[in-house]
Amino acid sequence: MGGYVAIGVPCGILESQVGVDPLMSFLVSATFYSGAGQFMVCNLLMAGVPLASVAASVSLVNARQVLYSAAFSPYFSHVRKGLTFLFSATVTDESFGVNLARFANDEGWTAGLATLVNLLCMTSWSLSNLVGCAVGGLLGIPVAISSFAMTSIFICLLVCQPRTRTSVLVAAVAALVVCLCKAVGLAGPAILVGACSGVAAGIAREALS
Amino acid sequence: MSRGDALTLYAVCLAAMLACRCVPIFLLKGHELSGRLSSALGLIPAAAFSALVANDLFKPEAFAQGPWPAAVPLVAAGVVVLVGVRTRSLVWCALAGVGCYALLLCL
Repeated sequence: MGGYVAIGVPCGILESQVGVDPLMSFLVSATFYSGAGQFMVCNLLMAGVPLASVAASVSLVNARQVLYSAAFSPYFSHVRKGLTFLFSATVTDESFGVNLARFANDEGWTAGLATLVNLLCMTSWSLSNLVGCAVGGLLGIPVAISSFAMTSIFICLLVCQPRTRTSVLVAAVAALVVCLCKAVGLAGPAILVGACSGVAAGIAREALS
Repeated sequence: MSRGDALTLYAVCLAAMLACRCVPIFLLKGHELSGRLSSALGLIPAAAFSALVANDLFKPEAFAQGPWPAAVPLVAAGVVVLVGVRTRSLVWCALAGVGCYALLLCL
């Protein structure tokens, strides 16, 4: 939960810099609840990316949640629909790792406890965003510096991916296509086109091998 | 951005997020993903994060101001990679990245 404070406050500061008020920041954090997504929306809006590209890029990045949700399905076969919804709607990268390890290794770990972990993390995140957004205007931290927190998080998430030949190819193609798009003036759809190109390259490699 | 645009963006992102988070767990209770689909979905994180990192680090306009402004985020990113490989911690990476970036801007 401490980690959410360290990242949530800068995220709130960044949100204040794109005109989000503290209450709205709290509500977005408590419902949308995506650290990467919230940082990304701010960065893309400040870069002047069109709204449709912002929505598509953020949704593509969050598509990894499909895997997380699928991975938990064996542990929720007998859990009530309401609790299953509350749990799955509040999964993040960090709580995914914690809860999946617990479900796999601890027979006493229940859906209720897993949901409690999610909700405590969400509360920590939302309150940190609220504080960051409220004090953001007072601190006057340059956008370039505060937004580099998210770049750093993306780098961490990237280096934590399993290192296979396919994943290295996927990452290399995605990065290369993004650079090419930006070099020819297509900054708006660069992320979406780059990520899709990377996935396509990976699928092609796996099909050929 | 108008309030209407902001609400539309929020609603679209929230709907997509909830669909990604909630639909699979309800659909797959007691089932397994096919190998090919699972494999394709597994490629998304590497592609998405790599694209995001490249988008943040590669700014053609920065080269017009000389090599140093373009190199600052790359140097800071290199430090974050080292911290990430060593600690695998989001928090340490964020702190190291912001600290290093701020320090380099002061030089």
